Amino acid sequence: MSARNRELMALIPASLLLTAGFAAIFIQRNELLSNVSLTYGGMFLGLCFVAHLVIRFTLPYADPYLFPLVAVLACFGLVVIYRIDEDLARVQAQWFVIGLIAFALTIFLLRDFRLLERYRYTIAFAGLLLLLLPRVPGIGEQVNGAYLGVRIGPISFQPSELGKIAIVIFLAAYLQDTRRVLVQGSRRILGVTIPPLKHLGPLLVVWGAAMFMLVFIRDLGSSLMYFGAFLALLYVATNRLSFVVIGLLMFAAGAWFFSSTVGHVQDRIDVWLNPFAPGLYDQPGGSYQIANGMFAMADGGLFGRGLGAAVLRVPDGGPLIPAPETDMIFAVIVNDLGLLGGAGVIATYLLIAERGFKIATLATDSFSKLLATGLTAVMALQVFVIVGGVTRVIPLTGVTLPFVSYGGSSIVANFILLALLLLISNRARRPA
Amino acid sequence: MELEPVSVALKFGFLAVLYLFLLWVARSALKDLRRGTEAAYTGPSADVEGATGMHSASAPSTPPQRGRPKLRVRTAAGLAAGSAYDLTEGALLGRGDQADIRLEDGFASSQHARLVPQGDVMVLEDLGSTNGTYLNGEPLRGAQPLHPGDMIRIGDSEFSFER
Repeated sequence: MSARNRELMALIPASLLLTAGFAAIFIQRNELLSNVSLTYGGMFLGLCFVAHLVIRFTLPYADPYLFPLVAVLACFGLVVIYRIDEDLARVQAQWFVIGLIAFALTIFLLRDFRLLERYRYTIAFAGLLLLLLPRVPGIGEQVNGAYLGVRIGPISFQPSELGKIAIVIFLAAYLQDTRRVLVQGSRRILGVTIPPLKHLGPLLVVWGAAMFMLVFIRDLGSSLMYFGAFLALLYVATNRLSFVVIGLLMFAAGAWFFSSTVGHVQDRIDVWLNPFAPGLYDQPGGSYQIANGMFAMADGGLFGRGLGAAVLRVPDGGPLIPAPETDMIFAVIVNDLGLLGGAGVIATYLLIAERGFKIATLATDSFSKLLATGLTAVMALQVFVIVGGVTRVIPLTGVTLPFVSYGGSSIVANFILLALLLLISNRARRPA
Repeated sequence: MELEPVSVALKFGFLAVLYLFLLWVARSALKDLRRGTEAAYTGPSADVEGATGMHSASAPSTPPQRGRPKLRVRTAAGLAAGSAYDLTEGALLGRGDQADIRLEDGFASSQHARLVPQGDVMVLEDLGSTNGTYLNGEPLRGAQPLHPGDMIRIGDSEFSFER
């Protein structure tokens, strides 16, 4: 079976999942078996089919599994958001369509994605500017002590989502040129390999600026994800474990510094360590969210309560878990579908990461390799940051669960990321 | 109508479809992965590459697995596509008689470009050709070290560097 036909086949289970999900929610809600769920499933299949046609005609050799895997995630997102709030789901469905348009546009406009390599500094600068936007008075928005969003009129978006792609493109383009000098020009001091400052300079400036912006807008989750992607790229480009060790030490020092000086960070860590402490639980902005997320996941058990069956609201109408459609969506999924459902979601991301790194190994030139690695790493780390936060492996910081969480900028940015991965894959797998 | 059983069936059905799908993808991915490693041994960016295919960057301290540097013909008039030239001694590319690799290409200069081994690295250098040399689709500026898998284009002829 050809790659494209396999992709088409794989879209069918994705649409089945959506149909089953909506059917379960309708039953739960109205005690009736409605064929509207079939309509939704059909519409979803139709949309995916259009995207599939775009891939079929523009990227015939691209990886066949990435898009269906993403479709499964999007189906999770739509079903669970619908189950939380119907109006949000309608908006999310619109964003899904806009995301697909952005996906197609990226493929059409960047047929030769290596153009990106030439505009590396412009892209880096644009990325940094984006990160700065939330602090601009008048359009910036503050939520829970973090300046995450930008609001212009009715549209609001989270610039760190698009920024991650820009920064990864810059790092990949820059490292592909300098990786050799970084290694060969480095000196050893006290057994530690120190890369030459001249070539590390621009790297540190752009990356340091990105880190500064993220601290400035207090987007801790994104800073973790950017940092991880930076280290992953540096490691792949240079094959030097010492650089990664130095980076991790720098990270530890930075984390300690911020946790002891910035109150906002300090609070997050307290909440993470003692979510069930009575004082913290009742405090506004305390551990209520994360503790209830834990309770909800425990309530799900092995197979879950069934889609749409878990309790989401406290008796007076407030949400049981604050921000169930964005940060805490993973807790809602586990409550509804149990450990198995949650593990399924993580396995889906795992397979996406596997496909991404596979694309990197197949790519024939350094820039494609690094770009594929960086894009995959940044997405995988984003999943780690938010799922790790919800399950209390690391302190909870607000980033979205890619393709699942409610949020337009996240969907659009991740579809652009997917388009880039497929473009690289198409080039790498093209028979010579 | 009592819908409780339907609801339970849907719950397990959802998980079943999800897992069957994931298993199918994982299985095909696994097959693909195996085929990928085989292809990598014969493919353009073979021998030296580790898992990431970028290990050649760390040449000085990790002893490089020494494959012979080769220039493989992708498309070139007058040269068999897929054939490879040994580059251990370097090579001169051009239209002229002195060239080690003769290009029957209207866009090639008589002495077009040179491949010179420098230590573990193979360096590509344009010899002031009229139409330029392209490395991975970009015009070559100055001498550039080659990485396995790099594509070199001169006029309509295309080569890939291997090691």
